[in-house]
Amino acid sequence: MPEKFEVMVGNKAVAHVVRLARARFISAFPITPQTTIVQYIADMVANGEIDAEYVTTEGELTAQASAFTAGAAGVRAFTATAGPGLLYMHHPMLATRNNRVPLVMALMHRGVKGMDPDQTDMMAQRETGWMMMECESGQEILDTGLMAYKIAEDERVRLPVIFAGDGYILSYTDEPINIPDEAKVDAFLPPYKTTIPLLPNQGPESKAYQMKAWSVGRDPQASFQDDQQAMENAKKVIKEVNAEYKKMFGRGYGNGLVEEYKTKDAEAVIVAMGTIASTGRVAIDRLQAEGKKVGLIKLKTIKPFPAEEFEKLGPKFKAMGIIDRNISIGSGGWTFGEIRNAMYELDERPKTLQFHAGLNGKEVRVQDIMKIGEKTLKAAGGAKVAPLVEWV
Amino acid sequence: MSKPVPLVKLDEKEYIAAANQSCQGCTGASVARIVAKVLKDKMVRQEVACCGPAFGNLEQPSIYGEVFEGAGAMSTGLAHAFKRMNREDAIVTTIVGDGGTTDIGFQGLSGAAERNENVLWICYDNEAYMNTGGQRSSATSKYAETTTTPVGEFSRGKKERKKNVAAMVALHRVPYMATASIAYPEDFIGKLEYAKNIKGFRFIQISAPCPTGWRFEPQYAVKIAKEMVLSGMWPLYEVINGEGFRITYKPKELKPVKDVLKMQGRFRHITEDEIKDTQDDVTAYWNRLIAKDGKEFF
Ligand SMILES: Cc1ncc(C[n+]2csc(CCOP(=O)(O)OP(=O)(O)O)c2C)c(N)n1
Ligand code: SF4
Ligand SMILES: [Mg+2]
Repeated sequence: MPEKFEVMVGNKAVAHVVRLARARFISAFPITPQTTIVQYIADMVANGEIDAEYVTTEGELTAQASAFTAGAAGVRAFTATAGPGLLYMHHPMLATRNNRVPLVMALMHRGVKGMDPDQTDMMAQRETGWMMMECESGQEILDTGLMAYKIAEDERVRLPVIFAGDGYILSYTDEPINIPDEAKVDAFLPPYKTTIPLLPNQGPESKAYQMKAWSVGRDPQASFQDDQQAMENAKKVIKEVNAEYKKMFGRGYGNGLVEEYKTKDAEAVIVAMGTIASTGRVAIDRLQAEGKKVGLIKLKTIKPFPAEEFEKLGPKFKAMGIIDRNISIGSGGWTFGEIRNAMYELDERPKTLQFHAGLNGKEVRVQDIMKIGEKTLKAAGGAKVAPLVEWV
Repeated sequence: MSKPVPLVKLDEKEYIAAANQSCQGCTGASVARIVAKVLKDKMVRQEVACCGPAFGNLEQPSIYGEVFEGAGAMSTGLAHAFKRMNREDAIVTTIVGDGGTTDIGFQGLSGAAERNENVLWICYDNEAYMNTGGQRSSATSKYAETTTTPVGEFSRGKKERKKNVAAMVALHRVPYMATASIAYPEDFIGKLEYAKNIKGFRFIQISAPCPTGWRFEPQYAVKIAKEMVLSGMWPLYEVINGEGFRITYKPKELKPVKDVLKMQGRFRHITEDEIKDTQDDVTAYWNRLIAKDGKEFF
């Protein structure tokens, strides 16, 4: 049976994720540009399309923390937010990770300065130990949300995950989106199980859990090692789930970690995330039409950071122009630092150029990315280019 | 309406470790011990930062959130999950300090109360942030010396009155709100028994003197709790559905507050004028409660 499709906005696609994944506990607090997610879900609960506990909390901290314990107790849980809401969730996000609850959260990026989108909201949560996957279209949001549950709940992983899209741009843009069939999603995503013994009368099991949580008789660092290992495992699981999803539903996103676009004969590549990657595709098409050998790498998963992928990609190109819609003031762009770090041990590594673009909602046009491509290509040709860090 | 339950009816089984990490004479630990014995194998706990985890209960399931401010939130999640799982036999219980209740956790408390979450919230009130060394909380009594309201040339201890969180919770019209005292365990157990058998948001604020923070010898902990009730400083009452107000223990005549204040190092500096100020406040509030006894709460 062919998939149904509907013209809808990204925020509505998120509500379909919740419906199809059969999340049984939903908690959220409204914030632009996430707000209509909360409303679409409310409608679906009101008309019976979603059968879940829906708690409209008094703030994001409660939204996050209640979803954490609902997941711990034994039901599939969901929450969604944007920008300042995500910052407000920070504290319980760490507790969610520490207790290894595979919670799924949708994030519609909103910067931390004004109302416009950039990724500084997610950057501020880098160290929470949540997996983070970035989307470039409403369709990708729907598909990634479903994959996110499967990845998070895999016994090799058991980590929470954010699937994110650029706020406003994806929140409110209508596009035709395929909606997977419910029965097929049920076959893809098995029922939820918790690993935390919280029900009464589990005697020794719950005692053992509490002892472990308090690191009693355990190397105090051991839980960090466990969590780091789970992140490492996630790289493999993400690839597997992406491949399985592609097989079942006909859509995948690169290898789940990164996607190469027209890199075959490229000497230089641009690295971008989210909707900047979409604009980047058009820029690459135009550059290549002019005979310029520039390709694109779309970074889909940013946590765990796919370092091994960049070890493989590094030697293939002479220069990488890395676009960050974020900045860690005092050090630089998130992906710029990670990518250079990943390629450090290579004998042959490309030149790397840093571009900050799209912060605080600044528009990123095709010609902006074409310029980035041209500059990167120049560097690939051996020319000295300046500045190495550019604000587009 | 709650009915006192004789102590002998308490389960003999112990849930909290005899050798736990609380101080000698800690009545917070006694609260935890009694709650565990009343709720038995129905209790599922949600713990936050406070002295609570030191009370040493590993026997009943618990999730510690490391989120001091999050008791309302985290117990909400548990309650809904158990509802979904058809396991409402589990009693979601959170044993929280006064700080996690009246200060940093207040928003979440109010949110959970307003949504009438199926949660039993026990606030053991030792009137300060004891776990971090006895700093003032909004539940600290006026004039009390704490590590952030030290007595000095320009300071007489805490300047403000104790926040009346019990009344505020009752105003949310929750199914059950009660105050209790560790010196009146029969009254407390009766209230727990009542709370145990109903659904929705239930809140008990229990006076739990802390020898370490209040500066008295451990053997006087229960004595001080008792004198607080007998002087009217700590009235015992309950409010059902935000309506029916009832004082559950009425001393025939109130003792002067001076005696119980003088038993605690934290009030060592208190002057006659300050005692009078406290006495006037206690008497006035007690008279207002007496006038309401058996009537509508608001
Ligand atoms: C967000 C946060 N702020 C501060 C602390 C430090 N802290 C831990 S327990 C505590 C005081 C707890 O006071 P209360 O709730 O009254 O419980 P008690 O310690 O008196 O038992 C504080 C300030 C913390 N753990 N988390
Ligand atoms: S500081 Fe007070 S409340 Fe905390 S364990 Fe010691 S006696 Fe109990
Ligand atoms: Mg306290």
